[in-house]
Amino acid sequence: MISRVLQKPARILYALIFLPVVGILVFATLRPIQVLPRITLAPGFSLLDQNSARLTNEDLRGHIVLYNFTYSDCAAPCPQTSEVMRALKNRLGEIDAGAIPVSLVTISFDPDRDSPERLRAYANYAGADGKTWRVATGDATRLKYALGGGFNLYYAPNADGTFTFDSLFVLVDGWGIIRAYYKTASPSVDRLARDIGLIAQEARNSTGAAKYAYEAAHLFLCYPP
Amino acid sequence: MKIKPWIIFAMLAGFVLIGATAFLGGRLLTPYEFHGAILQSPQPAHNFSLMSHVGQRVALNDFRGKIVLVYFGYTICPYVCPTTLADLSKARKSLGKDADQIQVIMVTVDPERDTLPVLADYMTHFHPSFLGLTGTPDEIAQAATPFGVFYEKENSDSALGYLVNHTANVMVIDRQGYLRIVFPFGTTAEDIAADLKYLIQK
Repeated sequence: MISRVLQKPARILYALIFLPVVGILVFATLRPIQVLPRITLAPGFSLLDQNSARLTNEDLRGHIVLYNFTYSDCAAPCPQTSEVMRALKNRLGEIDAGAIPVSLVTISFDPDRDSPERLRAYANYAGADGKTWRVATGDATRLKYALGGGFNLYYAPNADGTFTFDSLFVLVDGWGIIRAYYKTASPSVDRLARDIGLIAQEARNSTGAAKYAYEAAHLFLCYPP
Repeated sequence: MKIKPWIIFAMLAGFVLIGATAFLGGRLLTPYEFHGAILQSPQPAHNFSLMSHVGQRVALNDFRGKIVLVYFGYTICPYVCPTTLADLSKARKSLGKDADQIQVIMVTVDPERDTLPVLADYMTHFHPSFLGLTGTPDEIAQAATPFGVFYEKENSDSALGYLVNHTANVMVIDRQGYLRIVFPFGTTAEDIAADLKYLIQK
């Protein structure tokens, strides 16, 4: 008699402890929500683009931005990263970013030679339209702070006028937070498109109850493979 | 049927236990929701070394062990900077005995006009512990850039002379030197205090 009376509340008690644990395990293993980690702040900068228009990181607040880094004289065997940018630009229409604008920015680390005219020539060749995709550069010292210090990009000039640099793409969200590094000259365009979609999806779900689910996804490291 | 008093007592005790477990369990299992943007910085924040308003050079790394709130602003700033600093002062005060674990730093983006005495006057007005920092334009740019801070002079017709447009986020660096939270301009003192309390307890 005593054990029967005590059994029932005990079962409920077990269930109350057990269910959230199972819930967390299911959440962490099945990853119903995927997020990209919030890595760190993207740097501040003020640049001039191919149309001599100013481009600052504050202008890009609220945009999802994919950055790549090169210089206009970059000819084979210098890695051609503009092809990935062009392919992605052509696919932006398919990405469901809601009302969030997506921008592509190519930054040249060769400001001594890359005048706006040369940037324009490069932009025309690469397919950068000056709106969705801008090509820009700025003061050499400040660039070093922004690219080297901020984006963790290695680049160094060689005696023959070429540059040695690491191929790098960086994805930044509307808060100005770095969400992904792609340390290759040819990241998969599918993956870039997926990651832009993930950021947009998270931004859309940043209020109310959905926010808890997304913050939980960050807590349980529900990162895409 | 007569129900024995001890059964009623056992049931009541059971309900209380279940209620308490559900409440505590819920509290423990719900992740804390930050008001600012929480970051997972893989490496410590970029160090900088600048001149403080007390006439001593200080580095960001000197404050390891404290939670550092870094802000980039200037004293002639008409609205955004005083509002932010007043909110930080209020947030600090509401931490009570833990307030000493917080260090507020403002790096000027207007080194021309923000001399050390001007900074000293301005910062201590918000709280005696608040520290104003300055340096050469290059040192300031080097400090500001990795925190995503952009600033530029803007000519204005006002009696204040020129203004300086600047990124108005407050960056929170934890005791180990990692950038952990970014508060955009307009985060209330209460929300800032809640996030700081969480960091202090951790």
